[in-house]
Amino acid sequence: MKQKSVKSTATTPKNGVSRRKILQTAAQAATVGAIASGFPYRFNIVHGAESFRTIGLGVSVINEIQSKASKDIGHRIRGQALGYGAMFGKMLTQNTQYEVAEGYYNDMDVMWPNKVWQPIDTRRIKHWDQISNLAKTGKLTPGSQYGQGDAPFRQLWLDSNAKVTLNGPTRYVTMVPGWHNADSIGYNPDETGRVIDSWGDLMSDEFKGRVALLNIPQIGMMDATMAVEALGLYKFKDKGNMTRKEIDFVIDYLIKKKKAGHFRALWETFGQSVQLMTSGEVALESMWSPAVTAIRAEGVKCIFASPKEGMRGWHGGLAISAKVSGRKLDAVYEYINWWLDGWAGAFVARQGYYMSTYKRSKNYMSAAEWDFWYEGKPAATDLPDPFGTIIIKKGKIRDGGSYEQRFKKIALWNSVMDENSYLVKRWGEFKNA
Amino acid sequence: MARWTAERKKKAWIKTLFSGYYILFIIFIFGPMFAMFVLSFQGRLAGTNFPMRSYGFYWWKKLIEPSVVGDMQGALLRSIILALIVMVITAVFSTMLGMAFRKKFVGSGLLFYMIMSGIMVPGILISLGLAMVLKVLGITPTWWFSALGVHVIWTLPFGFLIMMAVFNRFDHSLEEAARDMGASEWTVFKEVTLPLILPGVVAAGLFGFTLSYDEFARTTQVAGEFNTLPLDIYASFTQRIRPTIFALGTGSTIFSIMLIGLFVLVYTLIFRRK
Amino acid sequence: MDRPSPNFHPGLIGSAPQAPAPPKTGVGIIKRRRGTGVYVTWLVAPSTIWLILFLIVPLLSIIVFSFWQINDQNVMVPNFTLVNYAEYFHTEGFFDPSSDKFLTLSSNILTLWTTLRLTMEVMVICLLLAYPIAYFLAMQVKAFKWQLALFLMCMVPFWTSYLIRTVAWVPMLGRRGLVNKFLLWIGIVEKPLGFLLYSEFSLTLALVQLYVVLCIGPIFFSLAKIDNSILEAARDMGAKPYQIFREIILPLSLPGVAIGMIFIWVMIMGEFATAGLVGGGKMALVGNSIIDLMGTGQYPPASSIALMLMLTMMIGVFIILKLVDIRKQL
Repeated sequence: MKQKSVKSTATTPKNGVSRRKILQTAAQAATVGAIASGFPYRFNIVHGAESFRTIGLGVSVINEIQSKASKDIGHRIRGQALGYGAMFGKMLTQNTQYEVAEGYYNDMDVMWPNKVWQPIDTRRIKHWDQISNLAKTGKLTPGSQYGQGDAPFRQLWLDSNAKVTLNGPTRYVTMVPGWHNADSIGYNPDETGRVIDSWGDLMSDEFKGRVALLNIPQIGMMDATMAVEALGLYKFKDKGNMTRKEIDFVIDYLIKKKKAGHFRALWETFGQSVQLMTSGEVALESMWSPAVTAIRAEGVKCIFASPKEGMRGWHGGLAISAKVSGRKLDAVYEYINWWLDGWAGAFVARQGYYMSTYKRSKNYMSAAEWDFWYEGKPAATDLPDPFGTIIIKKGKIRDGGSYEQRFKKIALWNSVMDENSYLVKRWGEFKNA
Repeated sequence: MARWTAERKKKAWIKTLFSGYYILFIIFIFGPMFAMFVLSFQGRLAGTNFPMRSYGFYWWKKLIEPSVVGDMQGALLRSIILALIVMVITAVFSTMLGMAFRKKFVGSGLLFYMIMSGIMVPGILISLGLAMVLKVLGITPTWWFSALGVHVIWTLPFGFLIMMAVFNRFDHSLEEAARDMGASEWTVFKEVTLPLILPGVVAAGLFGFTLSYDEFARTTQVAGEFNTLPLDIYASFTQRIRPTIFALGTGSTIFSIMLIGLFVLVYTLIFRRK
Repeated sequence: MDRPSPNFHPGLIGSAPQAPAPPKTGVGIIKRRRGTGVYVTWLVAPSTIWLILFLIVPLLSIIVFSFWQINDQNVMVPNFTLVNYAEYFHTEGFFDPSSDKFLTLSSNILTLWTTLRLTMEVMVICLLLAYPIAYFLAMQVKAFKWQLALFLMCMVPFWTSYLIRTVAWVPMLGRRGLVNKFLLWIGIVEKPLGFLLYSEFSLTLALVQLYVVLCIGPIFFSLAKIDNSILEAARDMGAKPYQIFREIILPLSLPGVAIGMIFIWVMIMGEFATAGLVGGGKMALVGNSIIDLMGTGQYPPASSIALMLMLTMMIGVFIILKLVDIRKQL
């Protein structure tokens, strides 16, 4: 079998190409590489009743996750990881090209009214009741505070007309809540010389020229707004949906800071934010929490700050294309149920993400892992990342405390504001200042 | 006699000067790759930055193992196949257009700007536009169909302009002579024109290969369900940037230089025999 | 010498030995002209069809989008409105003397201007760097195989994805990068230079490194076609080297220079990724504005910005072609 696949790859298709043949050739490319190096081919695709495609970021679309799902539920699942821009465009404009969208609630304002996804019946979600209240009501624990912006509970429930409603719970939802996290500031304590505990520190003159900011206009703006408010320069009504005047205030402030040489760089991708810190370019930067783990894995000191104002949260989940029906739809529901079952939750936890059905993930994690990733306790043993590399040494403690502490106080959720295109325009002015 | 030697000395000196400049130039364009070469030999627990923490082939081995996110080997193969097809089409189309544009014809001005639009329209939008059109028509985008389509649109103007430079001040008398001797258009092209323009055709094809292999924006929305290499690399940036990509870059550089060496060798052997 | 054979002159395009002009009869010309017409149709047909399918049709859809609108539900609705274009030129407080934006151009135009300025800088540097290389390859290197081999060497960095290459600038130019290490080691500077990375400097440098090779090809072809006998004749008449260069070589190579300029012009005007990765996102290019808008599904304004960019590029190409006729028959 393997011998045969090598042979057919050798012939380059050119004329009269059949779609299948090329796809085969392409799929076999990986096989050739694997055979050549003597490694067993890892993706034993199970020939199940259905095959479907899922797209998303490298956060949730990871070969090991989809191939494990294929094996467990007996369907053929093809994951396609994309960069954010490509993912967004494909989700919005090509819902015939995927069955599952591993999307984000902050994009819901755009996705849902465009009718690219279909309502999901919560009665078909096996572990629906085990999904935490963070996504359902906005309060992880009764004492938590609501965050501003596109919190999942504001983008989740659907009324009888399939419109997004704030009056949950209802039977149908837009997207099944999945992995999520809270972002703040990452810093190198040797460089800052002190503890960073407020968003305002991002703008502190002590770190002039050693600061980086996120360059996705919608989210970068939120981090900057958190800083401006923390410094007491302006009181915003709703940081998740700012007015033009409020946007102007923040941008003008940013332009002033930029002209004074405050920012070392603006970053766009996860990898870039890691590189900024490991290369010693910045002392502190707005950062995604798993980036801190990645930086430490390279032997560079980095602490994930817990700002007293609260962190900025984001929440991803699984949506179904409006074009899916019949047996394929059943298969897709099986996949979503598989995601919530716990194995995948444990997998993403080892990268520092949290899962909506986190109590089920516990079954798939060692006690030491659970205590470290979710309870905020010191690591009882050395802990691996999902791929087996030891990244947490015994005795280390996760910054930002336990899961509950972290999500009790989310100041703001990633959002797309009503004045989005004005924001983008003014963000461009900031970049050009 | 003395003057002749001085002249010769001067020529040799100028040539040395230019060679020196060429070497400096090569150092400049290979500059950032130098750090890449070294860093590809980082040990396991290290990243894409100095200092070197340890040495090893860990990331080189990763190159042939299945990737964490995406499928680097498959994407590489797809990108190479795609680039080769684009190379052939670009070379053929540019040559044909170059031949046609030797004389003004009805609509030549319009066609010229139409071809040029291919590099002027922002790639990400043409990608979106094509994706929307395909959706309306119910056609599935794939890397070997729709991505190929936009890649050729992108590479064709480069090849075309190179052919314009080649055909500029082109001497027609040889072709005329052949025609008058009763040769068919095809024979004239094959026996007279093509040998004269061959370096241009090769250059047009190479530009096609290079630009297609590297293309990112245009491919984003029309690659279909399999990523090309740049899409795959960009998707992997949502994770940590690993030195694997440096190993890939170093590997492809070494491979390319070896190909060039091979080319010189083969060329020398063939023409020596003749 | 390993020059193949007299009638196989790959290195000297178009300067083949002169054949005596054939006697032309009226009939012959007419016959040939008609033949040429059909022949031209066949030559341009495949490319034209391809262009219509993959360029004109999508382009028309972009033009249509630019007149559409996003409603407050974030849905794109068919419409015919000029609001996207109005927004393009609009500055809040343009006519208001009390506003700090009084008589300031709109941010889209300022972004276009930044892009234009950067493009010009990169273009000039690329031409200055590439010309001597093309000259060296065409005039000093005689054998075709070495010409091609040395040209290909310049192209090798291009075969590493630009995403990888731009990431590699950080360990090169960063505070702890190789260049700073070297400067500290030889003692020119006392602390690492910050401006080397995430600045206009690094962006320009990276863009030049990325695209300079595009200039070499066309200039090389123009230079390679210059007939040596013209140069020798000039030399025999006592022309000085710089006179030969200025009077003969430079004018004859202008078409190649113009084509190289067009390449750089369209490449940098449409650039976006490098600005983020090496420029540290500190300069917004038009491409970045388009990406930022598309990232939230704002396709109509993105389309209008893209079309304005295209128009600017088109004007640029038009001006370059007006200055230099690349189809000139000499």
